[in-house]
Amino acid sequence: MIIDFNAYLGHYAFRRLRHNTAPELLRLMDAKSIDKAVVSSASAITYRNPQAGNEEVAEEVSRHRDRLIPFAVINPFYAGWPDDLKACHEELGMKGLRLYPRWHNYSFSDKQCLALLSAATERGMVVSIPIRAEDSRQRSWLVDVPDIPLSEIASLVQAFPKARFVLLNGLGYPSSPLGRKESGLPANYLIEISRLDSLLANEIGQLTASLGSDRLVFGTGTPFSYPDPALLKLEVLPASKEDREKIYWRNAARWLPSTS
Amino acid sequence: MVIGNDLGRVTAGMEFDPEGRTLVIDCHAHLQHHSRSTWETDDRKLIAAADSLGIDRLCCSLLTPRRPATADQFRECNRWVIDAIKRFPGRVLGYCYVNPGYTREAVDEIRRCVGEHGFIGVKLYNEYQCTEPVVFPIVELAIELGVPILHHAGHSHYFVAEQPRISDGGHLAELARRYPEAKLICAHICGGGDWEWTIKALKKAPSVFLDTSGSVTDMGVMEMAVRTLGVDRLVFGCDMSMTAGMGRIRGAQLSEHDRKMILGGNMAAIVKGRKP
Repeated sequence: MIIDFNAYLGHYAFRRLRHNTAPELLRLMDAKSIDKAVVSSASAITYRNPQAGNEEVAEEVSRHRDRLIPFAVINPFYAGWPDDLKACHEELGMKGLRLYPRWHNYSFSDKQCLALLSAATERGMVVSIPIRAEDSRQRSWLVDVPDIPLSEIASLVQAFPKARFVLLNGLGYPSSPLGRKESGLPANYLIEISRLDSLLANEIGQLTASLGSDRLVFGTGTPFSYPDPALLKLEVLPASKEDREKIYWRNAARWLPSTS
Repeated sequence: MVIGNDLGRVTAGMEFDPEGRTLVIDCHAHLQHHSRSTWETDDRKLIAAADSLGIDRLCCSLLTPRRPATADQFRECNRWVIDAIKRFPGRVLGYCYVNPGYTREAVDEIRRCVGEHGFIGVKLYNEYQCTEPVVFPIVELAIELGVPILHHAGHSHYFVAEQPRISDGGHLAELARRYPEAKLICAHICGGGDWEWTIKALKKAPSVFLDTSGSVTDMGVMEMAVRTLGVDRLVFGCDMSMTAGMGRIRGAQLSEHDRKMILGGNMAAIVKGRKP
């Protein structure tokens, strides 16, 4: 079993994506033996009203709920976000959120963001946070959206010990408090592996040693990224079968019980 | 032993191991500078990573931690590459790194490294844009020796303050028009900014090869490169992003023949062109 915690549907404003509809993504997943994927709207990264993207995703996955798990993109500074959150959770069956504070121009410490995180936590929704949407060196001349500093994430997970976070598209955890058990942070976050390596610096191995294999989840970044680099990372990771299974799917399933 | 002269059996651009498998050649790798306390371990880890991924040869340069490098500094780096070629026989192929600003020293160093130590090419970084005249003697020497130049490159849609003289695909295409017989390799398409721009900029520069390395794993880059440039112009590399480098080749929609050419056949043909 493999669960991809980091997949997307829809369009990205600055580059054509392939395999970005539900049938196409499922075909690709089949080819790569990926069973299930958590998906959110790539379009909602740049839509002013992200709820339109959430509705597109809900429609796309409606006939594939057994394999595609929709997450909502919510901007807590956009009018009506509490209604959108309610609709995404109660009507569209979305199990979690994807937040883009840099793209949507807010900070984790803003009052509205705190309200969103409290509301999502109360609903038991998982909060996933892409550290970046794409490599900033290839950004369009229209935008300059930096990666989210890991220090901000560390403060966030500490401030919301009852929330459950999944950190996507990140790098550099072993040298951050997020990657060190002795930092005293709550164990309320999982780290997704798509940008970590299992060779040379072997960040995946370092994190397994420091935090434990319970704290890592598999993700690919598809269709922004080829799924194969992430698959390859786990294939060559020196780890026990049990640890590998935890990363491939058990940890994700633990946080999304209805998927297992 | 001169490693670069011992590349095995080459047939129509393909290189095979004794079992007939096409050799996999990483066209863009780096050894660690010896000022780094872990350099020996790190170099061994690179070979181990190559083993894990089925990479047979690593074309390596060794750069100074800070640039521009002086002549003494780049000569020291190349001496360490010579040592690594001996430490990892059959695995490490050398690029001679020079700063073109030291013209006489750079030319002498390339002649020494290629002629006496079997280096397979030249590595240029960002000390100068590749179209600046100071680079021309290096290009002319590489042509004379029949070796490629792996040129650091990238194109972002903003000024890269820390690399004011970085070259991009357009500069390399311009250099190729001036020197069509040069074997230029545009470095790390997946670590050099807007890869769609770079691929399009290289379309009409048929003598420029494109190195597929870098940490960015964007889906579609390989397919666009093959479609726009042709498979013969693509050479596999990792630039130390090992699983990203190999993973994108595995993930791309390519025929097995094309995959083999990218993974090693094309680079073997480039290396084979070195003049005696």
